[in-house]
Amino acid sequence: MRNIILTLKSKFGVEILKEEKKQIWLKADKKNLLKICSLIKKNGFNFFSSLTAVDILEKNVIELIYHIWSEEKKTILNIKIKIDRERPEISSVSNVYDASQIHEREIRELFGVNFLGNPDLSSLFLEDWSGPAPFLKSFDWRNYVRKKFYSKENKRERGYFT
Amino acid sequence: MKDLNKEQYQEFLFGPAHPGSGNFSVKIKLDGEKVIESKSDPGYLHRGFEKLMEYRNIWQNAILSDRICVFEPLAWNLLFAEAMEKLINIEIPERAKYIRVILAELSRIQSHFIWLGAFFSASGFDAGFKIAFGYRDYILDLFSAVTGGRVYPAGYICPGGVRKDLPRDIESKILKVLGKIREAVSYFEKENPAFVSRTKGVGILKLEDAIRLGASGPVLRATGFRQDVRKSEPYEIYQKVAFNLPVLKEGDAYSRFKIGLLEIAESVKIIEQLLDKIPSGNFINAKMKFGAAFNFPDDREVYVRNEIARGEGTMYVKSKAGPKLERIKIKGPSFLHLIPVLEFLLKGTEVADIPIIYWSLNGCPADMDR
Repeated sequence: MRNIILTLKSKFGVEILKEEKKQIWLKADKKNLLKICSLIKKNGFNFFSSLTAVDILEKNVIELIYHIWSEEKKTILNIKIKIDRERPEISSVSNVYDASQIHEREIRELFGVNFLGNPDLSSLFLEDWSGPAPFLKSFDWRNYVRKKFYSKENKRERGYFT
Repeated sequence: MKDLNKEQYQEFLFGPAHPGSGNFSVKIKLDGEKVIESKSDPGYLHRGFEKLMEYRNIWQNAILSDRICVFEPLAWNLLFAEAMEKLINIEIPERAKYIRVILAELSRIQSHFIWLGAFFSASGFDAGFKIAFGYRDYILDLFSAVTGGRVYPAGYICPGGVRKDLPRDIESKILKVLGKIREAVSYFEKENPAFVSRTKGVGILKLEDAIRLGASGPVLRATGFRQDVRKSEPYEIYQKVAFNLPVLKEGDAYSRFKIGLLEIAESVKIIEQLLDKIPSGNFINAKMKFGAAFNFPDDREVYVRNEIARGEGTMYVKSKAGPKLERIKIKGPSFLHLIPVLEFLLKGTEVADIPIIYWSLNGCPADMDR
């Protein structure tokens, strides 16, 4: 386990954020993601557990966290990558981890992050959705619902505008 | 060679009628009886939990976390509570841990009963469906006595412990129900030849495909891989209990059914070990009071995993100063089982096997859509 982390550190400049029991949090650069994933997959990290996106409005970034589990080493690697919020783009890891394809598709729909190289990024949950990515912090769903579905003229719906 | 995009193939939808597939459908392209291509169409139960939970406080979220999955609300209750405890770094009393594990295992059993019942129903074994749902009701009666709700416990397992203490004489009631569960298991162990011939050799998933596509839980263990979060990353008091992990090699629908049955028997064993050892004392950490005002520490994040009945459930939580969370990400096992795994398994099968394969995966559209 130590060796893998040291290799990641020296080769790709990965930074260790914190170490917990059976979990290691890492910070990496966007351009090294694919290489890091292929390297750790060769070393036993073959379960793609989950992919999280966190929208950080004040820093103008979207943080992607790749949670990858190894059964033989009994460890989770949480790899954090920051991408620009204005141009949310990152290369897809679906060539390395097949299971990540569906996670990326979900993040694409809910956060608007474009995963370059993912074979299928069609919409997953939302039907006929034309609004902005709904899970971004900048999206106010109350406002959206008011605008789209309610009218001030309607007596029963007037209450939603106060 | 026929062109997939031209209308040389028949197209139809499996679902989203509730009795057939739950709130979920699969778009299927057929060439005669053979499935050429299948595309899962989720979203019928998308309620946006991750966004909803950013607008609510810790206790409201504890109650809301029930609704993530209809089949096993207690398991999601437990996962949310664990995430919160790790986030704010508090210990929970030993008594609460015992109560939690007993309830989590009961919840696993009743979830497996729903699964097996629906699986039987899909394969035309209607008596099995009724028996499974009938026996599940004994467990629901227990839930009603302990949590106050038959299906939804309304945040019974809450951050800090459990919301109220066990009622008196519950141990003997649980023992009685365990006897009933054994009765049901022995009934299903008598193999119904029609059911066996419908499921054996159908929907075979190989080990490398299971890992590649992200399968977990019973689906993964039916392919011969020994993996369980309860063993590899024991939470609560799972390190103190002795239980086996049923593993089979075939990877077909029948072996998945078999795993479900064996797991029920193991869960019964776990509960029996714990019942007479429940320590006395507090059932909730004194610092936490259900419903009281609560503020999170600033900028902390945790990632927790649990073995719920369907497989690996995970939560990522990030906090900010104040009563509300910054971000919560929920991943249910069905998200992978019902989309990539199901699409993979349906390719090349016959129409009649679609419901068998679908129900053998132990999917829950609610935890897939969230």
